[in-house]
Amino acid sequence: MASTSKKIMFKSSDGETFEVEEAVAMESQTIKHMIEEDCANNEIPLPNVTSKILSKVLEYCKKHVDAADDKEKYPDELKAWDADFVKVDQNTLFDLILAANYLNIKSLLDLICQTVADMIKGKRPDDIRKTFNIKNDFTPEEEEEVRREYQWAYE
Amino acid sequence: MECSDLNMLPESCVSVILSLTSPPDACKSSLVSTTFQSAAESDLVWERFLPSDYREIVSKAGNDFKFSSKKELYLLLCSPVLISDGKMSFKLERSIGRKSYILSARELSITWSNDPMFWVWKSIPESRFSEVVELRTISWLEIHGKIRSKMLSPNTTYGTYLLLKVADRAYGLDVIPSETSVEIGNQAFNNTAYLCIQDSKKQLMENLFYSNRKQMLKSRVIEGDNRVLNKREDGWMEIELGDFFNGDGDEEVKMSLKEIKGHHLKGGLIIEGIEVRPKT
Repeated sequence: MASTSKKIMFKSSDGETFEVEEAVAMESQTIKHMIEEDCANNEIPLPNVTSKILSKVLEYCKKHVDAADDKEKYPDELKAWDADFVKVDQNTLFDLILAANYLNIKSLLDLICQTVADMIKGKRPDDIRKTFNIKNDFTPEEEEEVRREYQWAYE
Repeated sequence: MECSDLNMLPESCVSVILSLTSPPDACKSSLVSTTFQSAAESDLVWERFLPSDYREIVSKAGNDFKFSSKKELYLLLCSPVLISDGKMSFKLERSIGRKSYILSARELSITWSNDPMFWVWKSIPESRFSEVVELRTISWLEIHGKIRSKMLSPNTTYGTYLLLKVADRAYGLDVIPSETSVEIGNQAFNNTAYLCIQDSKKQLMENLFYSNRKQMLKSRVIEGDNRVLNKREDGWMEIELGDFFNGDGDEEVKMSLKEIKGHHLKGGLIIEGIEVRPKT
């Protein structure tokens, strides 16, 4: 397959521009559709994504495009790279989820969500609230009703 | 938007996160906040917990089987469900969603079971199936069952068990060990079992009077663990036929129990079926 040297340009919310190969940009289903509809010829503005997050997202996409051939031969290496990639603070994790969701990059969304899921597994509800700074907005009656419904989860 | 926290994620993203935990975790998370509760109800979450062939299982469950959400379906399948016109029973393990099946006696191949001189088919209230089969008398006891491995959960160790009762009038069942076997693909695991409950006083008496004869009979059979019957919570007894590791292929799993080397008459065995369930 002939490789296009076509580049795609992105502009982050804080005005920085990023240029990547078309193949890397196509990891995003959203961008892929734009390219197919021929709407990606100019700079693509991403008002929801900061430069810090956009550079991480593009780093992920580039790595996965480059490693596509090696993935069969060296799956452990890519897994190890992914494990390192997610070693970031909580806020960055959620920014990445929002960006991956917005740009529709399924593998990145699953990777970050799995990282957050691992922080939830085995925890009691008030520990989950503490970890993620979530407010309990149930009334005592509502809370009791939900607890009764899921009694079996505590057995 | 500077820094985000979990509160800023759309509910669909929280659902993706919860779908990557486990059924008990998703349920506990419902208590965190109203957003979490709503996200945890989503079909997206429970579709991931359901086995990949759940549509096929539902189609085998008959027309009365109804549900209004994937979560309701998951919880329904955690109680035993009769499928394939009542020939098999299916159940999911609630905490992880691994599958288990019980093959009814009609689904098994029991040598001479169509001859009422040897085996009698009947309905009893204690059975989950419409029929069980009771042994009147026979010298050749041979029971086979099989299931396709792709029906089971992948990458799981499964145990196989013959479910039975021993009638009060039973005789000849524990004179000599039965031979059990489980085969998957080209692997076979053989073992031995006594169709009796462990009873140390009875054993002491038997050893006192019959030890020579028992030794002689036992030597006809292969070496094995000589397992015994175990009580189940549902009122039936079970004897383990063997275990195997289910990868992710599609092979025939063959299970059997045979007592054909004793040549003596035995009777009073009531067969419910064979259960194939995950071993913890």
